[in-house]
Amino acid sequence: MGKKTAGICLALILGFGLCMGIVNTGTAATATETSEEALGIKLAKQAVKADKHWTTTDHSKIEALNQNFTSGSQITQACLSCHTDASMQFEKTIHWTWKVESEKPGIMNGKAGHAVNNFCISGNAMEDKGCLSCHVGWNGTKEEVNCLNCHGGEKYNYKEAFGDIQAFAGDEDPETQEIVTELQNEIKTAVKNITMPQRNHCGECHFKGGGGDGVKHGDLDTSMAKPNKMLDVHMAAEGADFTCTRCHTTVKHNIAGRLYTRPASAERKSLIQDDMATKITCESCHGTLPHKKADSKMNDHVDKVACQSCHIPEFARVNPTKMWWDWTKAGDLKDGKPYVVKGEFGKPTYKSIKGEFKWKKNVKPEYFWYNGSFSNIGIKDKIDPAQIVEVSHPLGEKSAPDARIHPFKIHRGKQPYDKINNQLVAPILSGPKGFWTTFDMDDAITRGNKALDVPYSGEFDYVETTYAFPITHMVAPAQNAVNCTECHIRDNSRLANITGIYMPGRDKNNFIDSIGMIAVLGAFGGVMLHGLGRFFTRNPKEE
Amino acid sequence: MFKKSIIAAVLVLFTLGTVAVAFAGEGPGGNKRKGKYTYRKLVKACFERGAVESASPKVSPADKKQAEWKAIFEGKEFSAFGCDEEWANASDKDVLDIYSYFYSFAADSPTPATCK
Repeated sequence: MGKKTAGICLALILGFGLCMGIVNTGTAATATETSEEALGIKLAKQAVKADKHWTTTDHSKIEALNQNFTSGSQITQACLSCHTDASMQFEKTIHWTWKVESEKPGIMNGKAGHAVNNFCISGNAMEDKGCLSCHVGWNGTKEEVNCLNCHGGEKYNYKEAFGDIQAFAGDEDPETQEIVTELQNEIKTAVKNITMPQRNHCGECHFKGGGGDGVKHGDLDTSMAKPNKMLDVHMAAEGADFTCTRCHTTVKHNIAGRLYTRPASAERKSLIQDDMATKITCESCHGTLPHKKADSKMNDHVDKVACQSCHIPEFARVNPTKMWWDWTKAGDLKDGKPYVVKGEFGKPTYKSIKGEFKWKKNVKPEYFWYNGSFSNIGIKDKIDPAQIVEVSHPLGEKSAPDARIHPFKIHRGKQPYDKINNQLVAPILSGPKGFWTTFDMDDAITRGNKALDVPYSGEFDYVETTYAFPITHMVAPAQNAVNCTECHIRDNSRLANITGIYMPGRDKNNFIDSIGMIAVLGAFGGVMLHGLGRFFTRNPKEE
Repeated sequence: MFKKSIIAAVLVLFTLGTVAVAFAGEGPGGNKRKGKYTYRKLVKACFERGAVESASPKVSPADKKQAEWKAIFEGKEFSAFGCDEEWANASDKDVLDIYSYFYSFAADSPTPATCK
């Protein structure tokens, strides 16, 4: 009897082992691969180790910088006396032009082009001066490149100082002269403090895109200036401590990483292959088997699921981000004056000049197939106002080899459009004739469209729109990554809108489920029968 | 004669009005630009003495309206700035310059101050 029991137990163990073997066949084969750190990661760490700000030039010893500057242009000329081609290079980049050719003939993308968004809508070919505070020139687009915008080691208000020096000119009062001398010394000190671009340089505009902290990007706001490791493992001081330019590498002042028309995922170069790859992906450092255990089931996901989908579980985790902007509500006045209403998070929920807003924190992204490109609706494109207009939306299909499921912030809102021409419109906002002064939307559209040389019928209404931003910063520690069951679950799956594929746990197919169950039970039954057969047909004499 | 009197009266009123507006727009009459640096210098001295935590001024003209600054400066009530010793030692001309700076860039002025 004891032997019989032992035999049954052995059969059960064997059967269970066989079943597990069937389930796990896909991954066991690669279990021998090592978990050694990828070379890309080693190189990245090397690049940010200890003394990061090494340089072969001490700018305080440069004679050209040791002068009494009276204008920004003089400073640029001093920079160019050594870096001869710098501004020539820079003026060719989108950081200066704010526009770039699109795949549509005659259509330029970018703020100064034909692109529109559902925030402040358009830069009106740089006619809207309100946008120009982020233009990298000494005086908007009128003067030379301000090199110190990205290379100044000290935040200094040059515009104010130069204005005051000019105003004090001719004043012989000793006290005034003392002030002027102090100002010029301050300027000299600031000009000689030169650095490679740091987070605060990029963040001055990119953390505050759309007119304020966290307005545009859900994954870029002032909390990323000094994030802790829980917020971003790459940029945290106790983490990899990357500056922006560690990933956004630069060739001739062209900064990599811009996502507009060119597919990103197609290249998938690693930093080992090309440290100046024009598009950076997580694989650049982490390789195509990013999870340390080479047999990890997660490594089977990387061809279809972007790393960001799991490793950025939520965005806007410290500061809130704007999720809704309704221009239909703009223009309401109290006692004839514009007003502001503040709501949760201390953020404005209403501004007379802009309309109604909604802010959110800890936002779960929305997921779409994405090949690194976007479809964009510009000022000259026709729209269907009966539908929600996707002003910017990710491109990619499940069957495309370069497309992956990627997380996005979808900013929703209502914005004006031309009722007769069925096109979005570009009201001019700032300045004495802008909407923020006149509160006359019709007039603002007339002036704004004229700046872009786009006809306006004179009749407008509002249409609901969406604008997608890829979520790629705020990478959380591995232990905080999205759990398998948040996607592989029947109800409320994060990937509920990713249709046309079969996802275990989320989807149910009676035929496939039946086949699977038959296979498992069949294997189990077979092993049982085999074991029992061996047990009962054994020859006792052999024992 | 009546017509001439009307014209003369209108001219006088226009002149008075223009002068009044011009003087009203100028505020206290000091050098507002110089006042900005005098104020910064005052706070810096205060910081070096250890009376305030930062050498950068914490009180900005845009913190109050013109009428409020007028009350503070004309009443010589500078306790909100926290640098009593420096204010006491400042000359009348320096205080007038600083007053002009605060008045010109007050919250309800045409150009409220922004941070430096």
